[in-house]
Amino acid sequence: MSKRDKRGGNRPAVAVPATPEERRPRVLELISSGKTREALDLAKQGHKDAPSPQAEGLVIDAYEARIRQMLAQGLHDEAAGLAALVAERFPAQRQRIVPLAQQSKAIASGDLGAILAELPLAAPTRRREIEEVLTRELRDPRQLAETGALPLDDPLRQGGRAVSVLFAAVTSGVLPPGALAALDVIPRQSPLAPWKLLIRAIEAYYRRADGAALANLDAIPPHAAPARLAAVLRRLIGEPAPGAGRPGGDGRDRAVDQKPVSALIGAVTGGQAGLRDHLRSLIAALARRDAAAAGAVVERIVPLMPSEPLWIKPTFTATLLWQWHRLDLPPRPLIAALRRDRRSLEWQRETQRLLALMYERAGAWDEALVVWDGYVAAATRAGTLPSAGRVPARILLHMAELFPAVPEDVLDALGVDSDEEIEQLIDDGALPGCFARGRLLARALEADPDPRVFRALVAHWEARDRGQAEAHAEAWRRAHPEDLEPLLHLVRAAEARGAYRKAIEMLGRAEAIDPMHPELKQSRVRLLLTSAEGRIREGRYAQALADLDELDKAVVATSGETWVYLGALRWLATRRNGDGSGAERLLEEIASRLVNRTMLSLIVGSVAESFGLEPPEALEAASPAESAQALARAGELFRALGRPLAVPTGLLARVEHGLGGASPADLHSLCVAGLHMGRPALTYAAAGEGLASDGPLLHRFLLARGRALALAGARRDRNRAISCLRAARELAGRARDLDAVREASSALGALGPDDLTAWSSPHGDLDGTERPTPREIAAILATERARLEPPAFKAPTGGRKRRRGARRAQRDLFDDLLPFMELGH
Amino acid sequence: MLGVDATADDEQVRAAYLAAVRRSPPDRDPEGFRRIRDAYEAVRDEELRLALRLFGPAPLASLDALLEALPDERRHVGPGPWLDILRGGKP
Repeated sequence: MSKRDKRGGNRPAVAVPATPEERRPRVLELISSGKTREALDLAKQGHKDAPSPQAEGLVIDAYEARIRQMLAQGLHDEAAGLAALVAERFPAQRQRIVPLAQQSKAIASGDLGAILAELPLAAPTRRREIEEVLTRELRDPRQLAETGALPLDDPLRQGGRAVSVLFAAVTSGVLPPGALAALDVIPRQSPLAPWKLLIRAIEAYYRRADGAALANLDAIPPHAAPARLAAVLRRLIGEPAPGAGRPGGDGRDRAVDQKPVSALIGAVTGGQAGLRDHLRSLIAALARRDAAAAGAVVERIVPLMPSEPLWIKPTFTATLLWQWHRLDLPPRPLIAALRRDRRSLEWQRETQRLLALMYERAGAWDEALVVWDGYVAAATRAGTLPSAGRVPARILLHMAELFPAVPEDVLDALGVDSDEEIEQLIDDGALPGCFARGRLLARALEADPDPRVFRALVAHWEARDRGQAEAHAEAWRRAHPEDLEPLLHLVRAAEARGAYRKAIEMLGRAEAIDPMHPELKQSRVRLLLTSAEGRIREGRYAQALADLDELDKAVVATSGETWVYLGALRWLATRRNGDGSGAERLLEEIASRLVNRTMLSLIVGSVAESFGLEPPEALEAASPAESAQALARAGELFRALGRPLAVPTGLLARVEHGLGGASPADLHSLCVAGLHMGRPALTYAAAGEGLASDGPLLHRFLLARGRALALAGARRDRNRAISCLRAARELAGRARDLDAVREASSALGALGPDDLTAWSSPHGDLDGTERPTPREIAAILATERARLEPPAFKAPTGGRKRRRGARRAQRDLFDDLLPFMELGH
Repeated sequence: MLGVDATADDEQVRAAYLAAVRRSPPDRDPEGFRRIRDAYEAVRDEELRLALRLFGPAPLASLDALLEALPDERRHVGPGPWLDILRGGKP
């Protein structure tokens, strides 16, 4: 291909006239139609074929048109270069070409005076060129408003004045209504039309009508001078520039000096636009799972993060830590980014606190504990956290609450066999001191002697070492002699270890503080009952009967069905004492007061069995409703008294398959009794019957269904259990049944964090954190109502099987952060 | 959301809550009112404020949510900074 062909590219071939006379009008025609390159080619060809002064003049005409067109297209450097070339090659034509070069330089520097001066007398073609230059190069409308080159009444100058005034107004404050009407005088073809669109876009931006702003920006021609501001305004709105992302992008954007752009964006947004841009980049980097890029953006974000409002910085950090963890990204880029922010040690401690919370959410209680411990130590040393008082006590209590509820789970997690081994490892320096839960609670109590901490401490030792629990309760009682709580514990503890004299002594002290306390009344009844039962076993029947007489006087003893139990004991003592007829009379007396004979048989039979005596008579075949009621009420009674209920297998089967006529109250009692007796199938069936209709106990039946399902073996049933328990907790909350809320939460907690976080609900899209919606609850209810067949329940085991594992090193995604956090120490 | 600082007491929090409700009454701005109510419930008493200070804030569902929650300031700065961009920094 020839050089000419290459330069010609894809341009359509221009018909070459045969003679110089034909060629001149053709060249002028091409110039007037804007085809200056073709005109120049034709003129040069003519000059080459037949050189003459006329032909040279035509070439210069074509060059001049070409240079002016390049100026109109904003190609200042190219135009100046071409002008210099022409002036050198045709020295005789310098006087025509040099002014063009000068004009080119003036326009490039923003001086439009020369071309404005041409405007009043310019021919239409030249006028169009000048307007094109103005469209491209008018960088301040005041240049038009204040130019002396145009008369005052020139429409372009008037339009320039209107644009200048409105541009200053719209960027300085809220415009009065109707102010934009002044722009209506500017026609669409005017070089000021892009400015009109820009002013409308800025006005819309400030009144937060971003859609209208973008619509106006879209209409601005990309070659017009205001298009550079359009790109900036798009960034302020948070929209990418049209063509952004295309190879090459917008060449003009690259030409814009970024310093004033950043200054404007910073001034308009109060510094937040940069933050927004970086946040968008961070979101994009995280979406690509590009940890290095995300870390680099975090590094830029941290210094920009404003201190006001207060929630921004901690919320950003908490969200970032959580997202980083969820994406399972390598921690180093984040560490490097956070490490750069050395300005505030206090903020680094805050980051440590947020990291601990992140671990908690991830279910990594042990990692959370270590980070909390580091935070407490660092903050205390720095004086931002007092060493005593409510705040440190609250944190220490929180740390203690992180431990799994089941003590064996703690041992499993740490790979040890006993609490003593933990203590030993701590003493050897192999484990941080925070893993001794008892020590944490003792520190909390020392920091703030708060009843809540005391309760937690006693509960902790009660599950491990009752002697310690009693010692702590005794110490608290001595320090707070008017506090009933330690006395209640001491009564229970003494009763549990069979120290009835001590229990009664503590009961007396407690009754001196609050004689009406319901637990004390129950304790007194329980103690007298235990005493009576003990005396029957020891053969001291007269003393047992005296205890029973005293029990009869107690108010609670006559409430509910307790009197039947006491009557059964009295019958037993009388019979054992050799008074057979008296025993018979007692039984008849009870029977005359108790309509449900099945319940009588059940209670008396259970009492007799627990003392190794034959029941007085065989159970009568009763109606399903009577059987259900008997089991429900007897179950409730024995559970309240803490005594085992012996239920004949036949009765149990009859009840499980004949719940149709049972009242909601009895169904609920059966739910509770089933769990108490280790009979989840009964609970499952009773809960299913209760769920069949809506009523005030609906959440309780859902709770019972969930608790029964939690005892089933299959993972699917455990997932069902979780949905039932979560729905029950939600419904209980709405019904203000706080006991049920607590019970559901506790049952959910016992199912373990793994089930909660990795759970895929059979009822929908519930996850471990969201509260179920009414629609989801309705779906759960529908499912449970349809599932009548009980699942396969696990056979009761002899105890929990220990999983002995190697002690876990303190390792996880963010372990490497810990040395960094030491900076705050 | 209520515009109270970390040391505000119950009375100041309550006053800020009522002022916010006056700006977004439930009948005219139910969504705004719900957010205000939630914010108030989270800091209503000293114990809740302490819990929030020690064990908050909860992470947002995504960083996009943070982007949406950032205050969107739009300050008028006069024509100068705008024209500076077109002038390429030249006066």
